[in-house]
Amino acid sequence: MNILVCFKTVPDLEMLDDQDWVIDKNHQIDTSFLKPSLDIYDESALEIALTLLDASEKVKVPIELNALTIDGPGATPVLKTLKALRFKRVVRIDSQDDLRFKPRAIASVLTQYVRKQAPQDVLLLGRQTSVSENAKTHLLTAEMLGWPCITQVAGIELVDRSHLTVTSQVDEAWLQQRIQTPCVLSVGDAPNTYMRVPTLKDRMHHGKRPVETLSIGDFQLPEETEKLIDLEVTRHARPGILIQGETPEKKARKLYEVYLKERLQLL
Amino acid sequence: MIFKGILNGCSTNIASQAEELNAFIGQHLRSVDTTGSTIIFYSREDQKNALLGLTPTASVQLVRITRYQPENILEAIKTLEKEDRTELYVFPSGFEGSEIAVRLAFRLKGSSLVQVKQIQCSNEKLIAKKAVYASHVLASFQLTKKPYCVSLAKGGTDSQPIVKQDRMTVTELDMTHLHQDRFIKDSQSTPFKPARDLTRARFLVIGGNGIHSHENTQKLQRIAESIGADFGVSRPVAMHVWAPMHRLIGVSGAMTKADICLVAGVSGAAAFYAGIEKSKFIVAINKDIRAPIVKSADVAIIDDYKAVMNELYRIFHENKDTRFGEENETF
Repeated sequence: MNILVCFKTVPDLEMLDDQDWVIDKNHQIDTSFLKPSLDIYDESALEIALTLLDASEKVKVPIELNALTIDGPGATPVLKTLKALRFKRVVRIDSQDDLRFKPRAIASVLTQYVRKQAPQDVLLLGRQTSVSENAKTHLLTAEMLGWPCITQVAGIELVDRSHLTVTSQVDEAWLQQRIQTPCVLSVGDAPNTYMRVPTLKDRMHHGKRPVETLSIGDFQLPEETEKLIDLEVTRHARPGILIQGETPEKKARKLYEVYLKERLQLL
Repeated sequence: MIFKGILNGCSTNIASQAEELNAFIGQHLRSVDTTGSTIIFYSREDQKNALLGLTPTASVQLVRITRYQPENILEAIKTLEKEDRTELYVFPSGFEGSEIAVRLAFRLKGSSLVQVKQIQCSNEKLIAKKAVYASHVLASFQLTKKPYCVSLAKGGTDSQPIVKQDRMTVTELDMTHLHQDRFIKDSQSTPFKPARDLTRARFLVIGGNGIHSHENTQKLQRIAESIGADFGVSRPVAMHVWAPMHRLIGVSGAMTKADICLVAGVSGAAAFYAGIEKSKFIVAINKDIRAPIVKSADVAIIDDYKAVMNELYRIFHENKDTRFGEENETF
């Protein structure tokens, strides 16, 4: 079973101070000084894929794990980590274009890659990235491929060469479904899926193999049907009054007496 | 503009979907030249009368299906679309609404946007706003092709109770023959453990990554409950499995509006803050004065949360506001 995990690196936006949130005339926010790291949902998708690889020997279903990102060279350290973690093909489609709000273009590239270059049985993606929050790429990819899609996936188990058991979150329940591949699976909040760290030995043995690089210019990009026209920073400021006191106990008493007591009586 | 609201009558949260849709229609679709109707999908015959009381428009289509599976819903809406020219489809917040909005727009060659907070519509165009950059930024998009398919953002509008329509036009359709979901071989559903609805909590204590362990999470929950508060957690706590997913607060979980919201060990990432920003009074307890939550709170204590919560427990006990009497539930 060939599994392709599509992922994105993003800046840690929580590292930005209030004054860093400046939008320029091209609708850009400068995050170039922040170290890119895996998007949280994509990280879960990668770890879930690795657990499938762990299980593949036990259930005697051979698996080939592949990973792909559309990004600049800044993603290279993450790609090398994935190599060290035994992803077989690790591909970067080189792009310096602003694809933040172009989920249709990204879905189209993924579709063309799967159809023309590297056939897959399962596509695994995070549900949305923190920067664009499009939450559409997995769905559009499924539509373009003509494959079914399951969203909010939290766990996957191998059944046989063409079936998986997928656990996903639906409104107020966990849903467990045995499904037939091919399919697109979009990972949501999946507990306990922080990505493992490769050993030094694995880094030495596998991490130095080259990353495949393709050019976005080799793919056709469709027009988006939704055009970004404005960005506006949202401010959340409240007074942020610091409660002073010599000890935490004294601060707690002041909190109760001055700020909570009356409010609690109104509940 | 001809619009349709789509509701999932198979879901246990149908009432909140309907109230959310009602509020959105009231805010954005009553002031312009619009004609609207509602499609409610349902699976049990005995639901019908109750569902008719949950429609925000005078015109409603009740569509019976075997179960709410996205492929079947898409096929059903496509079939209905042949009979009229809907220009705007509005889906409720939540996972299924977003999925169907995007896939439907693709199949009908329209445009889509998910997690929408506001729209401005005319006969010529639709502009929709949604949060991006982890809820730090509000983005405006112009949707260029009809039909426009949007799903609502969680907590984007205050819910608006439904007033039953005097004169309703009801049409019924049976689409139980649809089985577009053959890739699913079998399935079973496990409901989350019943919990109080955190969106309705008036006094809320929330623990974040700074509480460091499953044991501490449980202790904080016991203190919260003993002082009469509901208990929620930020995403890292749920991801570490220190607390179950149904206690999650933020864009992935509950969007709350408590009278008092006390957050301990939470850094205050914007995606979390969106889940408490409608609180009347926010208290942050954090060791780090630079944590974003400090500036986003009404008051803050910069100190160890354990000592502060222990003392709050004692104070509540002195004032006989605790539920557990003499039992020591503190850290």
